[in-house]
Amino acid sequence: MGEAIVITSGKGGVGKTTSSANLGTALALQGKKVCLVDTDIGLRNLDVILGLENRIIYDLVDVIEGRCRIQQALVKDKRFEDRLFLLPAAQTTDKNAVTPEQMKDLITELKRDYDYILIDCPAGIEQGYKNAVAGADRAIVVTTPEISAVRDADRIIGLLEQEDIEPPKLIINRIRRNLINSGDTLDVNDITTHLSIDLLGIVLDDENVISSSNKGEPVVMDPNNPAALGYRNIARRILGESVPLMSVDTGKPGFFGKLKSLFTK
Amino acid sequence: MSKQQVVTIKGTKDGLILRLDDQCAYSDLLEELGKKAQDPGLEGAVEVQIHTGSRYCSDQAAKEIIQIVQSAGHLRVSKIQSDVITMEECNHRVQEQQSETYIGIVRSGQEVRAKGDLVVIGDVNPNGHVSAAGSIYILGRLKGKAHAGNAGNREAVIAASWLEATHLMIADQMETMTDELAILSEHPEMECAYLHTNGFIAIDRLQDLRLLRPGLSTFKGGC
Repeated sequence: MGEAIVITSGKGGVGKTTSSANLGTALALQGKKVCLVDTDIGLRNLDVILGLENRIIYDLVDVIEGRCRIQQALVKDKRFEDRLFLLPAAQTTDKNAVTPEQMKDLITELKRDYDYILIDCPAGIEQGYKNAVAGADRAIVVTTPEISAVRDADRIIGLLEQEDIEPPKLIINRIRRNLINSGDTLDVNDITTHLSIDLLGIVLDDENVISSSNKGEPVVMDPNNPAALGYRNIARRILGESVPLMSVDTGKPGFFGKLKSLFTK
Repeated sequence: MSKQQVVTIKGTKDGLILRLDDQCAYSDLLEELGKKAQDPGLEGAVEVQIHTGSRYCSDQAAKEIIQIVQSAGHLRVSKIQSDVITMEECNHRVQEQQSETYIGIVRSGQEVRAKGDLVVIGDVNPNGHVSAAGSIYILGRLKGKAHAGNAGNREAVIAASWLEATHLMIADQMETMTDELAILSEHPEMECAYLHTNGFIAIDRLQDLRLLRPGLSTFKGGC
């Protein structure tokens, strides 16, 4: 029996879909059988980030309305043999096409075959959010070090605490070392004290995240990328390993850093 | 057997008191009340208080009694006093006296309401809202909105270990906070907000609350 984890944030654009794709891939790299479910009906894009767009035949709404079996709608990622699958969202129908009960039944069915089911939640707190949370056992809240994202994360945590699931865990995404070191943005400590939930991990901001998303190849496949390391650590923590939190501090400024600070003073 | 008097009139230094018998039939009472009110012995405009004893007096009955007493024109009812209230009213009053405790964080978009005093053990995050008919005490950081005395109690206070609220409201007086008030940005810890006699919300040290609102302390300890 697998475990269903919803990945949510409240605010849009903080990296829910990127996190879902990368964590799913990282878990598959660790040898787990993973199913990613895109519940952002009407605006799907998890398939694009995974590079599976042109293999979609059926989608989530087709399954729920009985036009096909789950196995027909699941898209297999060929890079991982039988370990990574995607259930894509419908692009044409609206988000009210699915009810929380239907979603719950679907996730229960998937839990029989997979170790982890990652549910990519749409932004906002409307019907789509309710559907995404309905079948989940655990929740991961994604935020960025911006006040608006933290505020919305707080709202979502409040809503999640009223659900019958484990206390949510936090991922702080798009951390920029230079902004934190200069004190121009909220640091990890500020955010965790404010939200007072457990930190699952942090992900550094990196240009390659965007370029690899555009290529349809999650950044986590590149073992030397700093953002990929963050996602790999988070995946290991999901699996129950205790991995130390990576340091945000760059330590001493390098030669060019010193030179730059000389001129900017 | 002579009929017993069901309405007795008593003069005190505060004015006349009509004491109504609480055992007789309501119709008898109204009848005699009508007669007494028309009594030519009473002269000039007089203020009367009505004591109904152990008879429960509903709003409608009270209206009826007032109407009958005032029908003659020279009596004016200043107050109706009864020794009984309904269970409902009693429970309501008990609730108002009680303090409710909320343990947890009041997060963005959430609202916690209390009918009496409210004690929050945890933070009130920005955009979180706490509201109480009585006073609000927060063992944590108040960073959201707080409304004390929401039913009009102007004596209510808001106290917090860390007072950085965005909005403070006491009864119908609202104040927006943080940047505007230097005192809050300088010393947010252990503060209390109360309605000053000038009608605006004032903020003082928590330690001064005892002097500002002596009526709040219900328990005398420390011997």
